[in-house]
Amino acid sequence: MTNAQLDTPVLILGGGVAGLAAAVDLARRGVAATIIEREPRLGGRASQFCCKATEACARCGACRLGELLVQAAHLPQITIYTAALAVAAQPQGDGWRVELSPQPGGEIGPGPGRPLRERTTLNTQAVILAVGGEAFNPAGKTRFGHGRVDGVFSALELEAMLSQGALGPDGLAPAKVAFIQCVGSRDASLGRLWCSRVCCGYALRMGRVIRKLLPESQVTFFHMDVQDYGRAWEDELPELRKQMRFVRAMPGEVTAGDGRPEVTYALAGEQAIKEGFDLVVLSVGLGPPNGASALGELFGAAKDSDGFLTTDGGPAGVFVAGAAAGPRSLNESMVHGGLAASQAASRVASLTEARHG
Amino acid sequence: MRLNDCDPGFKHEVAAEPGGEGIRACFACAACSARCPVGANRPDYDPRRLIRLTLLGRRDEVLSSPLIWLCSSCYTCGEVCPQQVRFTEVLTAIKNIAAREGHAPPSAKITAELLAKQGRLLEVTDFENDKRADLGLPPVEQRPGDFQAILGLKPAEGEAGEEPR
Amino acid sequence: MAKVSLVWVATPGLIDLDPALVAKAAGMSLDQGGLLEAAVVTTSLEQAPKQLRQRLVGLPVAWLELAAEVGGGPQAHRLARAAVAVSRAAGRAAKGTLPPVYAPQPAQSVLVAGAGFGALAAAWEAAALGHPVTLATPFDDAVQAGADDDPEAVSLLAAQLPAQVELVPHSELTRLIGGAGGFNVWLSTNGDAPQTYGAVFLAPPGELAVGCEVDGLDPALCCPVSELNPEDYEGPQDGWLHVAVLAGTAEPVPSYSFSAALEAALALARRPRVQVTLLFSEARVAAPGGEKLFRDCREAGVLMARVEPGKLSLRDGGRELAWLDPLLGEELELAPAALVLAQQAVAPRPAWLDNDLLIKPWDELVPDNPRLAGGRTSRTGLYLTGALRGTAPGDARRAEAASAAAAMHEVLTGKVVPMPVVRDSFCASCLTCVRTCPHGAPRYAGEHIQCAPAACVACGACAAECPAEAIAPPGWGNPEMFSSLEWGLALAPEPKMVLFACAASGMPAVASLSAQGHEWPAGLVIYPLVCAARMSQLLLLKSLELGAKRVLVAGCHPGNCRSVTGNHKAMAKITSLSGDLAALGLPPEAMEFLPLAANQTRELAQKVAAMAQAAGEE
Ligand SMILES: Cc1cc2nc3c(=O)[nH]c(=O)nc-3n(C[C@H](O)[C@H](O)[C@H](O)COP(=O)(O)OP(=O)(O)OC[C@H]3O[C@@H](n4cnc5c(N)ncnc54)[C@H](O)[C@@H]3O)c2cc1C
Ligand code: SF4
Ligand code: SF4
Ligand code: SF4
Ligand code: SF4
Ligand code: SF4
Ligand code: SF4
Repeated sequence: MTNAQLDTPVLILGGGVAGLAAAVDLARRGVAATIIEREPRLGGRASQFCCKATEACARCGACRLGELLVQAAHLPQITIYTAALAVAAQPQGDGWRVELSPQPGGEIGPGPGRPLRERTTLNTQAVILAVGGEAFNPAGKTRFGHGRVDGVFSALELEAMLSQGALGPDGLAPAKVAFIQCVGSRDASLGRLWCSRVCCGYALRMGRVIRKLLPESQVTFFHMDVQDYGRAWEDELPELRKQMRFVRAMPGEVTAGDGRPEVTYALAGEQAIKEGFDLVVLSVGLGPPNGASALGELFGAAKDSDGFLTTDGGPAGVFVAGAAAGPRSLNESMVHGGLAASQAASRVASLTEARHG
Repeated sequence: MRLNDCDPGFKHEVAAEPGGEGIRACFACAACSARCPVGANRPDYDPRRLIRLTLLGRRDEVLSSPLIWLCSSCYTCGEVCPQQVRFTEVLTAIKNIAAREGHAPPSAKITAELLAKQGRLLEVTDFENDKRADLGLPPVEQRPGDFQAILGLKPAEGEAGEEPR
Repeated sequence: MAKVSLVWVATPGLIDLDPALVAKAAGMSLDQGGLLEAAVVTTSLEQAPKQLRQRLVGLPVAWLELAAEVGGGPQAHRLARAAVAVSRAAGRAAKGTLPPVYAPQPAQSVLVAGAGFGALAAAWEAAALGHPVTLATPFDDAVQAGADDDPEAVSLLAAQLPAQVELVPHSELTRLIGGAGGFNVWLSTNGDAPQTYGAVFLAPPGELAVGCEVDGLDPALCCPVSELNPEDYEGPQDGWLHVAVLAGTAEPVPSYSFSAALEAALALARRPRVQVTLLFSEARVAAPGGEKLFRDCREAGVLMARVEPGKLSLRDGGRELAWLDPLLGEELELAPAALVLAQQAVAPRPAWLDNDLLIKPWDELVPDNPRLAGGRTSRTGLYLTGALRGTAPGDARRAEAASAAAAMHEVLTGKVVPMPVVRDSFCASCLTCVRTCPHGAPRYAGEHIQCAPAACVACGACAAECPAEAIAPPGWGNPEMFSSLEWGLALAPEPKMVLFACAASGMPAVASLSAQGHEWPAGLVIYPLVCAARMSQLLLLKSLELGAKRVLVAGCHPGNCRSVTGNHKAMAKITSLSGDLAALGLPPEAMEFLPLAANQTRELAQKVAAMAQAAGEE
């Protein structure tokens, strides 16, 4: 049986904001691209994120996905296949020959793109790896009780709860909420000695949303340091300190208390405290993509010391964009997609020139 | 407290002592303090605080503090530490320095004396050995020699054997 | 040539001079507050009142510090000197007259004004996209790095610069008018003659500024991080040399400065018998490698001292520091032998940016708005790179230049939005559109309103504000909108309702709800807008007149509008009308603004359902 054949100047693996932005920027540059998304739907993580606006936009960037999806759907240079996985890749001539395999669960959804139906061989001159980063699985930090203690959620779950309206006057109405920062970040014992950049920002923003939805609620922010999450940070921080309780300590554990989770933490000069909360949110960090090694093998992509993919030192014609290359916010991932687009476009241009000249 | 009057070398000294290597990595997150069972019973016992004093170079204060002898060596602090400080062992290093400088508390001295005498904390008597014999177990010997060697009261056995008679 | 008028601002040195006499002596007319073609103003641009600057938007203007020119002496002499200076300036203003019309096609050339990595990256990217590029740099050559740049990266990039980049040394941008596809630009190397460029990148060379508390510090004790030579520090044989690194205890410092401070602390801590104390409020370790550096510093023996913001006390020029150690609850004191100060990258904001020519104050031109990420400004075709964007991690500066250049290329080559239609015979020359347009499209060119060929995004702000119905992007004028509204509402069953939905927020939410099979109330007319800025009082009232019981405008949350204030404008109009609704027998909620993000489908569905129910019960 012979595979279906496809030719594309640039192949983009991953249809999150970084991959979509790379495709849109390539189209702006007049270069066609094909996006291959593993899941049935485009959008990556951002598709589960809530809007974090209160009185004004909180600049979380989540809504920009909508803009990108509309652009990607309308630009004729962009082809999108969902539910597709690259299973083999070989350098061929100046570019790559990639085997794509359809994944189960692909239905034609409302968004742009259609599912890949058959095994396909794709020839391309450049590859952009925009497969995103892995959000830390909080089960890896057993002592925080995720999956064992009722009322403990990861921040990803909170994003989904907020966007579905599960939290608020009509849903869950926790009186006391705790955010525990740096879960799976800044942690040498896990071999994850990096700050994830995004979690201070998303946690403070979601904390503010909770305070707005439930003005009676009390929000506690267990942290070590607050990272800046945008230009407005300096102005906002004093205000946030009034709205929430900032506790500069990492809790020792989260246990099942009397019907609700209890957080054990210590303040300087005081004995350790066990405090009950109705909702404990673990601010999970961003790590290297799960399949980094598989992709590394597939395309020989280089990795940095933390395991993130990198363009530097990798094979010619393979570029990396977005959170796959290191912790990045949505806006930063989009802009980074623009860099990969520029690099891929100049490679395509120089190959074309070489062929004709 | 004036930092100029402290001993910045103390943290390096502790780090150079076996077990003390991790001390400087501490970033003061307080996870250990939250979980330490001794701290749960003694408000003045706080691993993070002891680390802080060491890092600040308050050498005399740390070495002469009765608190450093309270650790139960449960290893909980090392278990939860995100920076792999291994405070239990750090504290052992600090205690070793303290003991060398004569800061060991009376209880530690009594412990050492008992060990030197008996080779173990509890004396083994005929009572125990009779019981063991009933169960078909060999008797326990009092072998204080090893501890005497460790405590520097006599040369180690191997070395002693090589000594010319 | 344009007629030049004298705009008299009575600065202190001019009090005794009669403006009319000066104007007469210079052979020009004195401004009476009416419409101008070109002007000489008797003060500097910075000193001029804001209303005046606004009035002169888009006109050729010579700014003249007249008081300095006339000096002292008898009044008659001063009058004569004033007349001479003014008439000379009038010559300049007249020469500076704009080209009478924009070229019909967008200019493809790109100006990059500045130096350093950001400027080179922008020039490289624009050239790679096939645009002729002029790189106007204040230095001898483009290789000169900004103080905040990595010199190696700069020379590497400079070596790769393609030939179609024309370098203009010792040149600075002094003035700019127009919009995408047709900026008129004045360069210091080009005298009074403006040149036309399709797009402009601003990249003034970055500088390093001390980013933390410096008040009262003795300079003899201090050394900024960038000037630190660790070799100079060594402790005495029998003791320690204490060095304090101040890394942001007064107010937050961008994280890159923190990394640089960490690097400095690390280098110092590795010197013999040097004890480093790093004082900070938040450890800003989010930059790549920041956390590892933070740990390396601790391992090397740097003492980390977290200080409550604003609680570091500095005495004797910084020879005595004191703060509360939050871990011990004790006051700590330190008498450092030296203080190392963290720095942050800044770029001087070009002075002319605040002037009349761009209308918008800086915060509106460069709002902290997620839709204008990556160096875009609210003015189409104008982009920022380099230190103007603050400090950025890793290759982020390069990435921003790449992404801005792609957007620029699309604007100059792939325009799909046609130019606004201006009906000269209706136009009252009030310049409202010039002041209102967030994207810098319309400009007053002597006799009528013209639009820059690629600047308009069809937001409709001009159409909403123009008092004479003289300007609107095609399809967005009152007659067209009223008739389609009429058509839609005529077909809708009672209760009739209109949802005006902005293309960036309301419409995507509508689209994803529709795609999920959401059932809209039968009487709801969904009217897509490019931007909520198009909402005018007339449009709101027309909806009611045509039978709508409810009008809902779904636009972006404040701070998220691509046209910066389109949502605010719509909100303000709704608020101002809400008082009059009772007179029409309508409840106050008959007209509402719903701030929405594209992903807030649930909120939109709920709002529309509640609105339909209330309207049905009436
Ligand atoms: C809890 C949480 C909250 C966050 N909140 C915010 C926030 O509020 N604001 C913000 O700016 N950032 C936030 N972030 C960060 C944000 O998630 C990332 O910046 C962003 O998702 C990165 O985009 P991306 O396109 O690089 O990756 P992703 O969004 O992860 O997209 C990667 C895509 O690639 C696909 N893929 C993976 N492997 C393959 C493969 N082998 N082949 C094909 N396709 C593949 C995935 O299915 C996915 O669709 C948050 C992160 C977390 C964990
Ligand atoms: S950027 Fe975030 S907070 Fe702002 S409107 Fe969009 S989703 Fe809401
Ligand atoms: S962003 Fe904040 S929560 Fe996330 S790893 Fe960094 S410091 Fe921790
Ligand atoms: S090992 Fe010692 S310091 Fe650590 S938790 Fe146990 S008792 Fe506390
Ligand atoms: S848990 Fe580790 S890093 Fe945290 S305070 Fe204790 S020793 Fe320091
Ligand atoms: S429609 Fe908007 S962008 Fe176009 S000219 Fe009018 S105000 Fe400017
Ligand atoms: S088009 Fe309208 S807003 Fe613009 S100047 Fe003419 S009348 Fe004024």
